Amino acid sequence: MLSTREIKQRIRSITSIKQITRAMEMVAASRLKKVESRVLASRAFTEKMHAVLSHLVSSLEGSHPWFAEKEQKAPVIKVILITADKGLCGAYNNNIIQKVVKYIKEKAGQEIKLTLIGKKGYSYFSRGKYASLIEKYIPESVEKLGYGQMQALAGQLIKGYERSEFSELHLFFTKFHTVMQSFSTSMRLLPIDKGAFETKEKKTVGEYIFEPNAEQIVDHLFPKFVETRLYQCILESLTSEYAARRVAMIAATENAGEMIDELVSSYNKARQAAITKELLEVVSGAEALVR
Amino acid sequence: MAKTFKLEIITPEKVVYTDTVQSFSADGTEGSFGVLADHAPLITELQTSIFTVHDTGNKTIRFALDRGFLEVMANNAVVLTDACVKEGEVNVEKIRTEKDVAEKSLSSAGTAEEKEKALSLLKRANTWLKLANK
Repeated sequence: MLSTREIKQRIRSITSIKQITRAMEMVAASRLKKVESRVLASRAFTEKMHAVLSHLVSSLEGSHPWFAEKEQKAPVIKVILITADKGLCGAYNNNIIQKVVKYIKEKAGQEIKLTLIGKKGYSYFSRGKYASLIEKYIPESVEKLGYGQMQALAGQLIKGYERSEFSELHLFFTKFHTVMQSFSTSMRLLPIDKGAFETKEKKTVGEYIFEPNAEQIVDHLFPKFVETRLYQCILESLTSEYAARRVAMIAATENAGEMIDELVSSYNKARQAAITKELLEVVSGAEALVR
Repeated sequence: MAKTFKLEIITPEKVVYTDTVQSFSADGTEGSFGVLADHAPLITELQTSIFTVHDTGNKTIRFALDRGFLEVMANNAVVLTDACVKEGEVNVEKIRTEKDVAEKSLSSAGTAEEKEKALSLLKRANTWLKLANK
């Protein structure tokens, strides 16, 4: 059994850990609030854009190069992975990384090129056997990535796609649902899935006026769509990260509290035991003298 | 009272404006135009320009828009743009520095692509300043 002094020391250190986890929880909560409003706004934007595109697509005649599967002898698949820069957020990083690892295993034999956003993903892949797959790492912190940077990245990707440098572009990110729930998912960004734009409801589609013309609008709208998707997924991931961190830190604070309770009770027991022992010594000493 | 319809101006960062309005006028790639209620379905590109809205209270609100898209359907108008700012909310100093940066990158631009990018940034800065009357 630990001595009272040792127990006291542990109580002290756990109390300070508890303070830290509580502070981290609060930081995560306030950041979550900020980024949550951003993610909702960007969702509104993406949804509207999706709606506009579906109206456009259904009135387009023939196929557009953006939908066509690129034919290549050795198809190269580009994968973008969004992770956090820091840990201490539960299984958030691990879940999405494992999803990518599984995907890489499934696609064995095909060339995969990784683009990594977030330090955690980079530190995982740069050490393992998949280090050779890393093509690009974006070292800026996920938090600071703005729409401008996503525009630049999307621009590069689209150019690469047009030059047939790769045949498919997949994005791995964590979709934010609620604070307690988010899903690690993947999405094919390119070629664009035409099925996703086909609306079930047949509206007054044929009557649209297009200015200057539908083809040109599509040419300009699709790159925009890829940009906004990318930006939105960054925000979704960031929101999920803060939510996961908040949940993890709440759990940590609770655990620390429980641990402190246990330690306090064993401290009290140890103290009581010491008092009893001393008393016994005094009493038995006195009894010995009487005899 | 004149007929009204719903207008939304959305950027990836936030919903800038959403309200029922009487009319608005915008600059498309083919020239400027106005939209009233019961407009025919329309999808068009918008230029970097000033966007004027007449709301139900007969007030005129002006916005500076970056390039974007407009969809009008069934008395619902949606403007999707990279950036948008309302009159009176322009950060003039910030835009001035942006303009300087754009001018510098324009003079040092090598490729046609860089030049085009710098020009669009410059145009954006100028439109923002125009809205602020500076």
